[in-house]
Amino acid sequence: MAQKISDFRKLSKKFLRNGTAILGIALLSFFIVIAIFAPFIAGENGDNPYQIPRVSWSSKPIAPTAEHPFGVIGGRDIFYGVIWGTRTAFQLGLIIASCAAVIGILIGSVSAYFGGWVDEVLMRIVDIFMSIPFLVAAIILTTILGKGLDKVMMALIVFGWMSTARLIRGNILQAREEQYVLAAKALGQKNFIIIVKHIIPNTIFPVVVQMSMRIGSYVITAAGLSFLGIGAEPGYADWGTILSYSRNWMTMLDQSWFAIVFPGTAMVLFVLAWNLVGDALRDIFDPRLRN
Amino acid sequence: MDKKPLLKVQDLKTYFHTDDGLVKAVDGVSFEVYPGETLGIVGESGCGKSVTSLSVMRLLDEKGEIAGGSITFNGEDVLAIPEEKMMKIRGNDMAMIFQEPMTALNPVFTIGYQIIEAILLHQKVSSEEARAMAIDMLRKVGIPEPEKRVDEYPHELSGGMRQRAMIAMSLSCNPKILFADEPTTALDVTIQAQILELMLSLQKEYGMSIVMITHDLGVIAELAERVAVMYAGRIVEYADVVTLFKKPKHPYTWGLMNAIPKIDDEKEILYNIKGVVPDPLSFPEGCRFNTRCPLAKDKCFTDVPPLEEFEKDHFVACFRINELEEMIKSEREGELSAK
Amino acid sequence: MTAYIIRRLLLLPIIIIGVTLIIFSMVWSLGPDRLLASYIKSPEALKTPDAEERLIRKYGLDDPMPVQYFKWLGNVVKGDWGYSMVGKDGVLQSILQRFPYTLELAIYAFIPIIIVAIWLGVISAVKHNQFADQFIRVFALIGWSLPDFVFGLLLLWIFYSKLGWFPPGMVSTQFDLAMRESSWHTVTHMITFDALINGRLDIFVDALRHMALPILTLAYLWWAYLLRITRSSMLEVLRKDYIRTARAKGVPERIVIKKHAKKNAMIPVLTVAGASVIGLLGGTVFVETIFSRTGMGRFLADAASLLDYWSIIGGALFYSFILIIGNLIIDVSYALVDPRIRLN
Repeated sequence: MAQKISDFRKLSKKFLRNGTAILGIALLSFFIVIAIFAPFIAGENGDNPYQIPRVSWSSKPIAPTAEHPFGVIGGRDIFYGVIWGTRTAFQLGLIIASCAAVIGILIGSVSAYFGGWVDEVLMRIVDIFMSIPFLVAAIILTTILGKGLDKVMMALIVFGWMSTARLIRGNILQAREEQYVLAAKALGQKNFIIIVKHIIPNTIFPVVVQMSMRIGSYVITAAGLSFLGIGAEPGYADWGTILSYSRNWMTMLDQSWFAIVFPGTAMVLFVLAWNLVGDALRDIFDPRLRN
Repeated sequence: MDKKPLLKVQDLKTYFHTDDGLVKAVDGVSFEVYPGETLGIVGESGCGKSVTSLSVMRLLDEKGEIAGGSITFNGEDVLAIPEEKMMKIRGNDMAMIFQEPMTALNPVFTIGYQIIEAILLHQKVSSEEARAMAIDMLRKVGIPEPEKRVDEYPHELSGGMRQRAMIAMSLSCNPKILFADEPTTALDVTIQAQILELMLSLQKEYGMSIVMITHDLGVIAELAERVAVMYAGRIVEYADVVTLFKKPKHPYTWGLMNAIPKIDDEKEILYNIKGVVPDPLSFPEGCRFNTRCPLAKDKCFTDVPPLEEFEKDHFVACFRINELEEMIKSEREGELSAK
Repeated sequence: MTAYIIRRLLLLPIIIIGVTLIIFSMVWSLGPDRLLASYIKSPEALKTPDAEERLIRKYGLDDPMPVQYFKWLGNVVKGDWGYSMVGKDGVLQSILQRFPYTLELAIYAFIPIIIVAIWLGVISAVKHNQFADQFIRVFALIGWSLPDFVFGLLLLWIFYSKLGWFPPGMVSTQFDLAMRESSWHTVTHMITFDALINGRLDIFVDALRHMALPILTLAYLWWAYLLRITRSSMLEVLRKDYIRTARAKGVPERIVIKKHAKKNAMIPVLTVAGASVIGLLGGTVFVETIFSRTGMGRFLADAASLLDYWSIIGGALFYSFILIIGNLIIDVSYALVDPRIRLN
């Protein structure tokens, strides 16, 4: 146990010495602060805080002013949308990633635990789900489920669990051959206990790394669906929704550039933050890179 | 031995700048290699013996740095040779073979290609001539059907054959010195003997010097004329092979000798050096063997014992040479009483 | 090896049935009422009171699911993929008409993607932790985090709205008219190639100009990904023993990298490069929407916003087939390339 704690200390020291990791953590903290203090930064729309307040009835974009620092598009205040959109992004990313991970862990460990035909069938189902391109699958399912962020989340979860399942299955199969597992088996421990006590703790880290890396891509995909007009409802405080207003101004983007630049920057930095953290975690926990 | 040494290493210091700190992998190592002889460098893994040879060939990776000392090869200061000229020396005058013939040969090129490449780099011959030389070399190292094998990929050969191919490659330009880094460790015991025999006969034929780096005293006994025993980045004992095996003077050497079983010995208990090699990030003060040495006291923990000539051509780095005799005696007695 | 290919081929029908089943069951879950809407071309048909029920029965929309599935699958095999509101034609016909445009874009994007990504990735690995490496890594990190629709919109804003250099669309109007003339030979359905066949260099250049921004958008995304793979693969190979062997025999560093390291490092890169072709074919939804190109991706986006179910389903089927067949080709050729796998 003491060994583990000193290992952990060593690793966290390594993490903190990694410049990009620091940047990732800093960016992430920045977004967390914005998400928490959104009502104080951008105010709160009384009826529904996740609905961007309408400040104009003209559809013409209004360039940034003191009152609307990020400008107005489709009559909506972009600043409000970007700030409250941070909450939306966290919700999207965390909910999708954790649900997909739970499903993936369940299916992957069942597959590895039972082996045989159960494994065969489950892995072929994984193959089948992976044979539909992720974005395309998300597009069909959201059009069929209808508009709304909950539907988007559902669609991305349904088609987002497979890589975790493969990862956890592979890791369990590999861990089963490890010395400490063989030792536990030799001592007569039950298979199930071995998995819960020895294997899962040793295979969970890659899943955490994968989760943090995928949060970015989930947020991007959800925003993309909103951009296509099949994601969040119009006026919802969501970065992709603000971007989608530009679709009406595609040939005159110099009149609505702020509707791209501000939510776009928020999105890039948000995704970058998760990617940096995930990357640093992977560098630290990848046994091949550790010596 | 009054001949001029082919290779003279003096007070070599090779340090690695790792993420966790400075590793003094080689810290003040000196030895000579004379033309046509075999020097054994022996020690446990991590004692710096491979790093020593990589330093001499200037093949350290980006984290490694030669922090001090001098290397003279063939009358030239190796550390002052420009890199372009060093490339001409590597493979031509100095060659190297490694422990793992599987990973040391490039998997995507045929063994023929890899030998021919070495020949073409250093000799003015056409590629057809180089190919003929490569086949010839493969035959010399005892690979059957060399005309066919020359076009095979490393994974198509057995481990022993791969090591033979590796030797063929390293000797293809008739080097003056060959560094053999644990050349037999990864092989089966029967193959090991064949490879050693091959190296001996090739040495007779070509007259090159060999630096045999190994943890295996059996290999040393078979091949080497003189031996340097390394421990934790330093040479602790340096003598000709007979003296070393007959009269080891350093407690570590003595421990090593007694850790291997001998058939003609009635001794039943093998001596075991207590403890483990210290962490290279924090070698102990004084004698680096002091954490495991049964004789260590006082000075051993504060001063570094110099490598001194104990008798002619027999160098030992230990403050307690005289007490070793008594220790050996008491160990023997303990053994007897255990019987 | 042969056993592996046979196994992959045997699994193919299972995968295809699974994919079609998933796709169909999503449509089926809409229920007969909503599905009926996609069969009726005018509201007149629903005038009579029992018309809806009658039509549902007529199209078999209340049949049990397996019956409907096999009926649909039969039609798909026959080439009847339903009517596309977006394409104003059969779904399959609409897709096949648009696919060459997407293929053309993918072909042109692929070349700069591969060359630049490998070039940068190798530099980055060789100059490990030096300035060039840090710079390339930042470049890759940004590309990795930049959604293609954001990057595309930014490019459109700067290079079209502000500078007017690269217009959206496929080809300028006057050339579009020229291509509709009877003297124009349509062979490949890809504008640049047809322009060359017709000897119209001006149209060729114009079409390329329209492709520049879409290519850059797609390329940056893939550069970021591929160069990371190249870099890490190269770094791994450079640590290998055989690289030290090559140096030990006096091979100049330039050749160590160009030949000994690169040839080994390229094996994983090529698999990903193969995957990038599939990705390019399937990843044009946003690029084609933003740059008004009438390819497959735009078709799917339009179908989605019009809730044109049969077009969406058709698009998904088509994309899945590309992915399945593409992956099969990659896996088999990967096995053929690596001498170590080839033997076992």
